[in-house]
Amino acid sequence: MNSLRARFSTNETLAGWTFALPALIGIAVFLILPIAFTFWISFTDWNGLSPPEQAEYVGMQNYRDLLTDPGVQRIDFATGIRNNLYYVLGVVPAQTTIAFALAVIVNQKFLRGRGFFRTAYYFPSITSSIAISIVFLFLFQRSGVINRLISVLLPGDVRLNWLDNADGIIHNILGWVGVDSAPAALADNDFMGLSLWQWLSGPSVTLFSIMILVTWTTIGTMMLIFLAGLQNIPPDVEEAGVVDGTSALQRFWYITVPLMKSPLFFVLTIGLISTWQVFDQIFVISSGGPQKTTLTPAFLVYREGFRNFSMGRATAIAFLLFLLIIVLTIIQRRIIKPERA
Amino acid sequence: MQIRTPQRRRARIAALAGSIALLAAACGGSDFDDGDDAADDGAEPTGEAPAEGVELTLMGWSSSPAEDDALNAIISSYNEQSENTVQFNPVPEYDTALQAALAGGTPPDVIYIDSNRLPDLVEAGALAPAEGNVEDDGDFYESLRNTFTYDGTFWCPPKDFSTLALVYNVDMFEEAGLEPPTTWEDLAAAAEALTDGDRVGLAIAPEYPRWGVFMFQAGGAVTNEDVTEMAIDSDANREALGYLEELYANGYAATPTDLDAGWAGEAFGQQRAAMTIEGNWIVGAMNNDFPDVNWAVAELPAGPAGQGTFVFTVCYGVPSASQNPEAAWDLVNYLVSPDSLIEFTGQFPVMPGRESLAGDWTDAHPELGPFLSGADYARPFQFVPGFQAVVDTLNDGIQGIAAGNRDVDEVIRQVDEAGQAELGG
Repeated sequence: MNSLRARFSTNETLAGWTFALPALIGIAVFLILPIAFTFWISFTDWNGLSPPEQAEYVGMQNYRDLLTDPGVQRIDFATGIRNNLYYVLGVVPAQTTIAFALAVIVNQKFLRGRGFFRTAYYFPSITSSIAISIVFLFLFQRSGVINRLISVLLPGDVRLNWLDNADGIIHNILGWVGVDSAPAALADNDFMGLSLWQWLSGPSVTLFSIMILVTWTTIGTMMLIFLAGLQNIPPDVEEAGVVDGTSALQRFWYITVPLMKSPLFFVLTIGLISTWQVFDQIFVISSGGPQKTTLTPAFLVYREGFRNFSMGRATAIAFLLFLLIIVLTIIQRRIIKPERA
Repeated sequence: MQIRTPQRRRARIAALAGSIALLAAACGGSDFDDGDDAADDGAEPTGEAPAEGVELTLMGWSSSPAEDDALNAIISSYNEQSENTVQFNPVPEYDTALQAALAGGTPPDVIYIDSNRLPDLVEAGALAPAEGNVEDDGDFYESLRNTFTYDGTFWCPPKDFSTLALVYNVDMFEEAGLEPPTTWEDLAAAAEALTDGDRVGLAIAPEYPRWGVFMFQAGGAVTNEDVTEMAIDSDANREALGYLEELYANGYAATPTDLDAGWAGEAFGQQRAAMTIEGNWIVGAMNNDFPDVNWAVAELPAGPAGQGTFVFTVCYGVPSASQNPEAAWDLVNYLVSPDSLIEFTGQFPVMPGRESLAGDWTDAHPELGPFLSGADYARPFQFVPGFQAVVDTLNDGIQGIAAGNRDVDEVIRQVDEAGQAELGG
């Protein structure tokens, strides 16, 4: 008996490994090895041109260039983080709340043309981001539709150059209330090579335009996820609320929102990850300009790796970005605490 | 995709045409003219089948269908007369594709190299030197030879080159009773006189590859000639940047986006600017997109220190890891032979790198002479590996000066700091 069981279990182990092998090979080749290779590259000075085994080990130098050693690399990295931070702070809440609101609206049973609205809102999400970016280039031109629309609605002829304007929005707002140059306390103190005044610039007008674009294109997908979540809420819960004499607003806040915690966490997480990786729109519209105000870590990876031939530094940026996303996701998880299914 | 497909198809048709031509040549040899055939095949006694031939790949990019046609015609005639066969492979996102091809260890046999990419490739040991492999290399313009010489070695012969010149709207100049400007003072005066309502005098993109010419004309530069020390902190550069700052501040000069254009040539073609500073590539754009505009070219106005312009050039390089170096150099020599260069640049408004062909080119393009004159004093857009972040910092500053929110001294200080760190470290 014992020997039989032993033999049986060996066979089981073998069979288990055999069945798992194709998947394991796939994961190793396409996931683990590339990540390990990239991690190793980030400690070398590989230029991306010669065979990688010729690269020299430089220790933490790439990371030091980005984080501690004063210089243009650190300034660019800090600028990228600053730009992307404003981008995330703008896009994630906007896309989440708008998508949630839209999902609630198109989930109404009595809404006419529900199918049309669902399709219309989802449409931008399935269109190529490059194509949409090019359309936005025209919309936001000086003589484009956006400026004409504003000129019609507001007095005066607005000829704002949306996609080539480096003025920070917070700086602009401060300018309206009379603060148009940096107070000494902000100008003289710096963090990672950028003065506090520069950190507080807000997104530039160009980055802000890109934020509008991205919000508009992503709400469709987010709406779809929320819609699926809303349809999972059993109608009797809502009916029980009605029987208990609650108002529609109370039902929304005390029934719908708590039951939507899982989709909300999901949407926020994808939102956070994708906004920290923004690249396509910036590549097409502004290439990091004007005046580095649309530089993001993901774009820096491209610039360093493929234009500056510093693959080592590019991979170091990629790993720092990865760390940043992990940390932020963990923090977000602590705050929202999704229900375990 | 829309851009790529017709080119691919064209390349395929050209390849097909090439192979038909080969077939015809082989038939022709056996049927009619034996003497000629023997001469074509050189020492090869059997002659008929290209048995010893190697298949070569030429990897590059495509800047226009017209250029593809001209190049494919030359490649077809190479395929006809050689036992090797060449395939031209234009790729989008060339730098990335080249990087992957080189790092993979089996690169194409011949590659395009932009002059500003050369230092990176040489430092990476990716190239085989051209010295001794290129026929009559003394004939290339000295400025081009210097551009493609790095660390004392000549690496690759120029495919063609372009320089920046002043492109102006003839009708607007006649209307204002002006002559093309030859000095900075004239240029500023002309820009002022031609600025009118929605139209500006001068459209220039706010970036170093345009603004740099003013630094040269003032006697300045970003670094010293060997790119070992920063030279940005000079009165000449201050003067050049200050001159442009004033033009923009007064509204006599504008950026392309301010004029609702993707690049300065488009703004000029749409007649929103009376002048622009662009290179040979503007010729094709004007002929295709704006055939009704009456325009002409003049040399760039001289600054306090004389004339200055940029040369933009691409060469044919052979990777050090090429499997067929001899055949590759044979192809390169064919491509930069006087006949091929005349054929290529005759149809296409870029300039041949051989000084002896200057006359032929001016005959073919009499109205474009000022571009060629620039070759005598042009400088390349070329630094050292790792300098991209410094160039970006300079571009960042230039954009700020053009937008009027950055001070010239501040920009110079920031570029200097960025450059000191790169060159010193």
